[in-house]
Amino acid sequence: MGLLTILKKMKHKEREMRLLMLGLDNAGKTTILKKFNGEDVSTISPTLGFNIKTLEHRGFKLNIWDVGGQKSLRSYWRNYFESTDGLVWVVDSADKLRLADCRQELSALLLEERLAGATLLVFANKQDLPGALSKDEIREALALENIKTHHWCIIGCSAVTGENLLNGVDWLLNDIAARIFTAD
Amino acid sequence: MLGYIWQYLYSSLFRLWLKWFLRQITGKCELQRICDGYRQGVARTSRAEYSLECSKSMTLRTAIDVEESGLEQRVTAIMAEKNIRSEKDPMFKTNLKVCLLQINGYRKLYLYVEDLRKQVFESEKKEHEELLLKLWDLLMPSVKLQSRITKQWGDIGFQGDDPKTDFRGMGMLGLTNLVFFSARYTELSRQVLSHANHPKLGYSYAIVGINLTEMAYSLLKSGALKPHFYNTVDGSPSLEHFHQLYCYLAYEFDKFWIEEEPASIMEFNLYRERFHEKVKMLLGEPDVSLSLKLTS
Repeated sequence: MGLLTILKKMKHKEREMRLLMLGLDNAGKTTILKKFNGEDVSTISPTLGFNIKTLEHRGFKLNIWDVGGQKSLRSYWRNYFESTDGLVWVVDSADKLRLADCRQELSALLLEERLAGATLLVFANKQDLPGALSKDEIREALALENIKTHHWCIIGCSAVTGENLLNGVDWLLNDIAARIFTAD
Repeated sequence: MLGYIWQYLYSSLFRLWLKWFLRQITGKCELQRICDGYRQGVARTSRAEYSLECSKSMTLRTAIDVEESGLEQRVTAIMAEKNIRSEKDPMFKTNLKVCLLQINGYRKLYLYVEDLRKQVFESEKKEHEELLLKLWDLLMPSVKLQSRITKQWGDIGFQGDDPKTDFRGMGMLGLTNLVFFSARYTELSRQVLSHANHPKLGYSYAIVGINLTEMAYSLLKSGALKPHFYNTVDGSPSLEHFHQLYCYLAYEFDKFWIEEEPASIMEFNLYRERFHEKVKMLLGEPDVSLSLKLTS
């Protein structure tokens, strides 16, 4: 193996990112993952356990972990924290009844030591539904302004139409890349 | 690459020569040879299906889409076109009819199932709500539901307080599958539920059920269930046959899960995939019949 190959390999490895996608059940995590990957989103069933997809985007290799959000699975979330570069928190913007629950779960996550270095992207999903709260309303409901420990951004999106998914992921990649790949 | 070239040459040239050659020797057309030489089931019907799909004649090629009411007429037309006389080959007509019923029935069943899948569960619809409550009563006869929105739904494996969001992309197909299993095999479904509520090896009964509906649906859609239906249903398969297949999956998956002893529910997708592979392998066997057989 020549020096160049080794360097290339190292470089390749550097450009790999691990994204963890969490949120309450029925937030639309699997739909976002599938839509982003160009798959059919009409026949999805609830996630038990997790899905993982590796995909290339803008020269980055993204390992995206999509973990089920139902209450009984949330205690397992911690098993997926290790070396996470970006946390994607998905919110069902039409589910007003569970916003308090949603806020609580998110703030608990942000206290986790192993997620301390991760960038946070909040997807205010289901913007296509009538009665969905706007991204500004979600920002307020989740008290995002109070977050001082993480870089964060909120983006209104629709996993079904695909609207704004790319914008969100691009912001996330830029922020992570600026943080971890600028050393060289 | 070579495979593709061979495939192309075979389907465009060699197959025709072979057919012509065999026709000269046996005095029978390809459909006759299929109906005669293979026993009823996937062996015969899938060959007939391929032969019809590849046919140059409109009468034959479109026969796979013909309605049941026009079937008799179409078979007569095929026999006229192929110059087949009932006196010389008395079984042909009946055999071909069964094949066509199976082929068209499978296509119709898919459309029907797809239609049901697309129906979203709506709380405003009385019949949807009634079906959901029926599921509860069948599975939990001794426990009363305290209200329509309640944590109790978790006891039969839904995710939250209101099951309506759990049907997702499987829509009413998921719910009707679950209800059918509990209505037809009431004791068995309760037994499966009790396994699902095991403190260590447990899983979410209803959510796994909806995932199995997705499995059944995708197998149907891809055509993978043809061997099963061609082998087990003499005519056109109905929704009930699809439900029966779901029952098979629900029962067998439970057995599989318990035997495999996964470390936790987080392994579900891994074991679902393994189970899926197992089912697909069974579907590759010539005598496949995925019918629920009680062992105890």
